[in-house]
Amino acid sequence: MTPNQTELLQGTLDLLILNALTTTPLHGLGVARRIEAVTNGTFRVKPGSLFPALHRMEEEGWLSAYWGESENNRRAKYYQLTRAGRRHLEKETERWGRISLAIARALEARG
Amino acid sequence: MPVWHRIRSMARNVFARERVERELDVEVRGYSAMLEEEKMARGMKPNEARRAARIESEGTEQIKEQVRSSRGGKTLEILWQDLRYAVRMLRRNPGFAVVAIVTLALGIGANTAIFSLVNGVLLRPLPYRDPGKLTIIWEQDDKGKPDNVGYATYLDWKAQNKSFEDLAVYSSWQPILQTGEPEQLNGLRVTSNYFRMLGIHPELGRDFLPEEDNPASRNVVLLSHALWERRFNSDPNIVGKAIAMSASSYVVAGVLPASYQSLMNQDPRGGTVEIWRVLGYDVTLPFACRTCHHLVAVGRVKAGVSFAQAKAEMDTISAALMKAYPKEYSAAGVILTPLREKLLGDARTPLFILFGAVSLVLLVACANLANLLLARSTNRQREIAVRTALGASRGRIVRQLLAENCLLAFLGAAVGLIPAYLTPRVLAAVGTGGLPRLEGVQMDWRVLVFTAAAALLTGILSGLAPSFRLSKTDVHESLKEGARGSASGASRRLRGMLVVSEVALSLTLLIGAGLLLRSLAQLLNVSPGFDAGHVLTLRTSVLGQRYNDNNVLRQYFKDAVERLRVLPGVQSAAAASQIPLGGNMDEYGFHPEGKMNANPELDESAERYCITSGFLATMRIPLLRGRDIEPSDSLTSPGVILISATTAKQIWPNEDALGKRVKIGVLDHPWLTVVGIVGDVHHVGLDSTPNMQMYIPHAQYPFPDTDMTFVVRSSGPPRAIASAAGQAIHSLDATQPLSRVMPLEDYVALSVQGRRFALILIGAFASIALLLSIVGIYGVTAYSVAQRTREIGIRVALGAQRIEVLTLILRQGFVLILAGVVLGVAASVGLTRFLASMLFNVSATDPFTFALVIMLLVVAALLACWIPARRAMRVDPMVALRHE
Repeated sequence: MTPNQTELLQGTLDLLILNALTTTPLHGLGVARRIEAVTNGTFRVKPGSLFPALHRMEEEGWLSAYWGESENNRRAKYYQLTRAGRRHLEKETERWGRISLAIARALEARG
Repeated sequence: MPVWHRIRSMARNVFARERVERELDVEVRGYSAMLEEEKMARGMKPNEARRAARIESEGTEQIKEQVRSSRGGKTLEILWQDLRYAVRMLRRNPGFAVVAIVTLALGIGANTAIFSLVNGVLLRPLPYRDPGKLTIIWEQDDKGKPDNVGYATYLDWKAQNKSFEDLAVYSSWQPILQTGEPEQLNGLRVTSNYFRMLGIHPELGRDFLPEEDNPASRNVVLLSHALWERRFNSDPNIVGKAIAMSASSYVVAGVLPASYQSLMNQDPRGGTVEIWRVLGYDVTLPFACRTCHHLVAVGRVKAGVSFAQAKAEMDTISAALMKAYPKEYSAAGVILTPLREKLLGDARTPLFILFGAVSLVLLVACANLANLLLARSTNRQREIAVRTALGASRGRIVRQLLAENCLLAFLGAAVGLIPAYLTPRVLAAVGTGGLPRLEGVQMDWRVLVFTAAAALLTGILSGLAPSFRLSKTDVHESLKEGARGSASGASRRLRGMLVVSEVALSLTLLIGAGLLLRSLAQLLNVSPGFDAGHVLTLRTSVLGQRYNDNNVLRQYFKDAVERLRVLPGVQSAAAASQIPLGGNMDEYGFHPEGKMNANPELDESAERYCITSGFLATMRIPLLRGRDIEPSDSLTSPGVILISATTAKQIWPNEDALGKRVKIGVLDHPWLTVVGIVGDVHHVGLDSTPNMQMYIPHAQYPFPDTDMTFVVRSSGPPRAIASAAGQAIHSLDATQPLSRVMPLEDYVALSVQGRRFALILIGAFASIALLLSIVGIYGVTAYSVAQRTREIGIRVALGAQRIEVLTLILRQGFVLILAGVVLGVAASVGLTRFLASMLFNVSATDPFTFALVIMLLVVAALLACWIPARRAMRVDPMVALRHE
């Protein structure tokens, strides 16, 4: 079941992207593939949402970008986490955890 | 840090846009290409892989657009875009741009100039520490008017008050500098705490010391920066040096900073105060009396004490003093004038009037520009239609048009800065109107901010209506083949309204100028009481040990006047302690025999002229009754006095004043007999009623004046005999300084300089407004004729006479002008009351002026309609009917 891409909250997409970049820098396609892999195919991010998000986060200072070479020696733009980005990721992860815990409890209490 | 990062990104987006776009393109295409590679690696055929990749990529352009719309710095980028477009548009229409920029330069430039005046004079902070706490303290006389204070009173005030942190007094001083070319300086004598209280510190040397403030050691001076530069060559070792002044030696204690300009100028005609001496008041002299009002007191209230509280306390102290010394005070109570008001109060009204007037000019310029824009609108309809069809929102179009307009406004403002920069120089030429602090009028940051704000406001204001109108362009109509721009009825009405408002505003300004002109004419028509033509004046201040003998002093002036009299071309000559409109205010108590008050302080004062014989003849002051002062009136003959007609009428209304006796000033002087009654002169100003005046012979006065003005009537122009006169006086004693060698007429001119200044400026504004309005009317009429060419052609073809066509066009223009005049008259009636303080003998709604100005404006406006109307007359119907 693939949730509708447009219903994905912007903040959630940011979180997924930041999370995808924790270990190594990746280019645009690489980020999409990694999110797909990590969420077991649940979230397939389309370029129309991905690139605006990547550029926005780069402007806001959570990612930094540089030009490098892809696997097939193609010129590609790589993104990596900045220190501020890492801090933001930690904060958002913790917040997400609290929210999901609260929602889970609320749903249990219904019964 | 994120903020820094964001700013950097925004800057990059705006200024390195091409590179950013290229990189985005590479990145997005790369995505598609890498997808393709992926699919081929999984075994797809190249064609299929490419197609699949393209589908998954969802369109490169759309993605790029998504990225663009989520970028930061968007507003800035859009603004930048708008401006570049605006520049392109203006370059394509240079004629329009030039006209618009000139109009705006006139409007905004004039405003900048006046604002720089307001800024330099009123807004700039005063140089004193915490100036809001400083105030002048006047004694209150029996008529409730402010009066100077005597030294003894000052001492009591200082000792008894608790509201003031400190009190100081000052008085004018005019020493003759004798190092090098003798020069009379304008200066002040001040108590030793004066500068400390004001918060001004010398930049070189030191301030006055309290121990110097006594008669024995008071020859200590402080120099102004300008004086130090001018006469002492900025000598770095000036501190401690002795300089020769007024036949004495003075030690320079220090030099004041260049930024400090004294504002306490008691004699505005004397130039800036450049030197200060410690007062060192000699309390043993009779001048230390309570009734000798020649000092001005200034004080700083303590923190937390209001002026009202201070006044209340001082009133009490003053009342107690009056009780203790009943014959030495005419009334109890003080008047406080905060320093700011004393220094700048007189300048406020004229400057605000000027500012109001120049704002009207700006409104006219805005209206003109709006008119121009409306005219141009028709040409741009197609362009706007295309943009709307391509998806531009109405707001976007309006924003772009306004940006264009603001660009014009800023360009106009920039051009207008040039005349505004020249303002100080223009002022020097025109005559400054007596405004204080003019040295500080310059292009500082406040002026630039004001100019930018005015430009922004003008651009938006004048552009709003045209932009909204234009953005509503009907896309269908405008894009049709062969569609020509048409002015809708609403657009025509709007242009008409703008013209009406322009005419109204111009009329208001013209009426204002007209009223001021009449006032000035009336004022100059007032007979000053003497004949100012052909008279040269020279001031002197007699120095030297030998003149300490009063007899020598009296003889000196007698001889000097005689030498002047015998010069070729000289009809008569004399000398006097003050001259009418000369700016001095020398008044002595007038105590008539049998009519004196028990408290002599309550007797009236009269303006005192201490004169040599020949003064009345030289000045052509009419002798109404009795006789003039003659050479035979000397120390050995009985004391005589001349009085003015007002004095006679006021003191002896039902009696003959001739033969009556009076005492002047102090009561232990001998009686003087009135031997002549002369006509009044205007001493304070042409617009004020003459006070009581009296003339006493210099040869008889026990304390003859050393500061005198020579007056010399010549048959030719006064300046021609200036050097001969100077030589004649110096032939007697070459060491005596002469200053202010100028024709008597200059004094008369100086007395009206305020009004003259306002008249010149408002006249200039009215002219600009009128010019702009004429251009506006011409434009509207010409445009209307062009629009109606076809209609006119049809009318003529159908048999209309040329004259009928002419009247048709003129009538349309006339309606607009009439409406404008009606509106303008209504506005003027409401607004000219603000001019009331500057008017003289003319009411603010003077019908004669109104009628004359209206006629002038209507004639000029009709003329502006005339030219296009004549063109309409000559329309050839054949050409017109083919006109597209």
